[in-house]
Amino acid sequence: MTLVHAVDVLLDGTLLTLNRAVGVLRRRNVAVERFTVRPCGPPGEGGVSRMTFALSTDAATADRVVQQFHKIVGVRAVAITTEQDHTTEEQP
Amino acid sequence: MSETLSGAEILCRTLVDSGVDVLFGYPGGAIMPFYHALPDYPRLRHILVRHEQAAAHAADGYARASGRVGVCVATSGPGATNLVTGLATAHMDSSPVVAITGQVSRPMIGRDAFQETDIIGITLPITKQSFLVQDAAELADVVREAFAVAQHGRPGPVLIDIPKDVQNQKVEWTTPDVGAQHAAPLPTAGDAAVQRAADLIAAAKRPLMMVGHGVILASAYAEVRALAEKTGMPVITTLLGISAFPEGHELHLGMPGMHGEVHVNRAIQRADLIVGIGLRFDDRVTGNLAAFAPRAQIVHIDLDRSEIGRNVRTALGIVGDAAVVTRRLVAETAARDCDAWRAEIEGCRRPPDASFRGGLSPEAILAAIRDVTDGACTIVTDVGQHQMWVAKLFPYRRPNTHITSGGLGTMGFAVPAAMGVHLARPGEVVWAISGDGGFQMNMAEMATMVQEGLTVKMAVFNNGYLGMVRQWQQFFHGKRYSSTPIWSPDYVKLAAAYGIPGYRVQHASELADAVGQANAAPGPTLVEFVIEQEANVYPMIPPGGSLAEPIEAGV
Repeated sequence: MTLVHAVDVLLDGTLLTLNRAVGVLRRRNVAVERFTVRPCGPPGEGGVSRMTFALSTDAATADRVVQQFHKIVGVRAVAITTEQDHTTEEQP
Repeated sequence: MSETLSGAEILCRTLVDSGVDVLFGYPGGAIMPFYHALPDYPRLRHILVRHEQAAAHAADGYARASGRVGVCVATSGPGATNLVTGLATAHMDSSPVVAITGQVSRPMIGRDAFQETDIIGITLPITKQSFLVQDAAELADVVREAFAVAQHGRPGPVLIDIPKDVQNQKVEWTTPDVGAQHAAPLPTAGDAAVQRAADLIAAAKRPLMMVGHGVILASAYAEVRALAEKTGMPVITTLLGISAFPEGHELHLGMPGMHGEVHVNRAIQRADLIVGIGLRFDDRVTGNLAAFAPRAQIVHIDLDRSEIGRNVRTALGIVGDAAVVTRRLVAETAARDCDAWRAEIEGCRRPPDASFRGGLSPEAILAAIRDVTDGACTIVTDVGQHQMWVAKLFPYRRPNTHITSGGLGTMGFAVPAAMGVHLARPGEVVWAISGDGGFQMNMAEMATMVQEGLTVKMAVFNNGYLGMVRQWQQFFHGKRYSSTPIWSPDYVKLAAAYGIPGYRVQHASELADAVGQANAAPGPTLVEFVIEQEANVYPMIPPGGSLAEPIEAGV
């Protein structure tokens, strides 16, 4: 069953890591919506980014995508929420 | 002690400190500072290949045979892009390779400078990690991290891109304290998961083991054998798992999948439990996933968490090192036998197919190689029909003596990879077995062997076709042999042009002499086997088909 899965990735904010993460997402050939990247962490302590997106796919495929993110050097955390949730908004 | 060194010198020192003794490479403009420094470090033996693709394959072969990192070097632009196929091969087959590429100087990056290419961008999907070194002061740390990433967990290739001005940059260098590095721990399985796997094995009526490359990477040979012998479970070895379990052992069934023997695939389809260790259940193994092992619960043991459940549904996934998990499983599993189940599988065994007319069959050729080497050799294969014949017919009895390009299926792999295997195992005979198509892709490496004194015994199965593609055309494209007939040069004369002894075998009666002489002669040798033109590899599961529906000989 196709659902919308919100995925939240905390990763090093280098272009190389972001590029690698986007590449992993792209090559899965899964519909991606609401893609955002923003700096994360306290001001002055940069270097960490939060990538959020929504996958329109079945639960098993969404889980496989998350597992691929775990393998990327520089990815610190990956979380997936249910179809009821939307892309996480950054907390002040 | 502090001293001033260039980036290139730091690179050389760090390679030496990392235990590197051989590099495969090709110089060019953007990597010249490194090559300028290299002669001052005689510990680093450089093998000058004839094409950078061969450097990557040779580094891969070295890594697979030695268990250590293989290193290849290329310049920027075309040098770097020529590495791509080799890196993709290493990535698909989990081989620890570090590629060092020159890059245009930092001020020139992004200006489409001469021989500039974004090799990091190009190789992102086929590397575990990549580094663009921005400052010579960080070079040593980058190299150490690259080696650690390449080897840690599931191995894979790492690329280090070094701008030319960084190679020339002088910085203060202090001998590092490398003892301060700590690798992240590998994942370990919980006791409950191991116990559950043991319970499933105890309860199963038709259990099977399927073992893959992960067993070889973890050197889990004794553990896998102990589990098999304690439980009586028959063992299936995937293409990259060949030689992880001794051929000829009473529990060894053979290779599964597209060209697996009928009784092996039947066993999978009838099994009620499959214990998969260090394999990824790829499509050449499973055939149609919906029809794969319909009665079996699958226990999947793999170091890479993302492989669990990726291709097949698993009843139990255990993330961990194959040796560690299997050892614990042996301890937890009760002794049993599978005699009735093994007898049932034996009932499915078919007599060897008779598709190959005449005496110069793959069986006869491989028997000759086995006889003259007494099995004490490493076989490196290319991709295609000969690869399947070797996988099915050569009696591997020692671990990790079968090396091939599995996941990517890279024609042209065997000859350069065998050079790396030879350097990793200089005391052992190495046979590179290719078809006439794959051999011609990288046969220029014969010059490398001669110049560098590398002993590789080359076998060419010459059937005048790109045989596996021709076979598919025969089965699935109405025998329309489009662009598969392939002309070959006179291989004996070609070998002679390189100063290499060459032999042509057209009849089985010539096998023993030619193979014996090729094996015994010092240095590289080449043997051409003129085999039947339109022989097929049987049985064959059509692509996307079920393992239960093979095409057998006589079609």
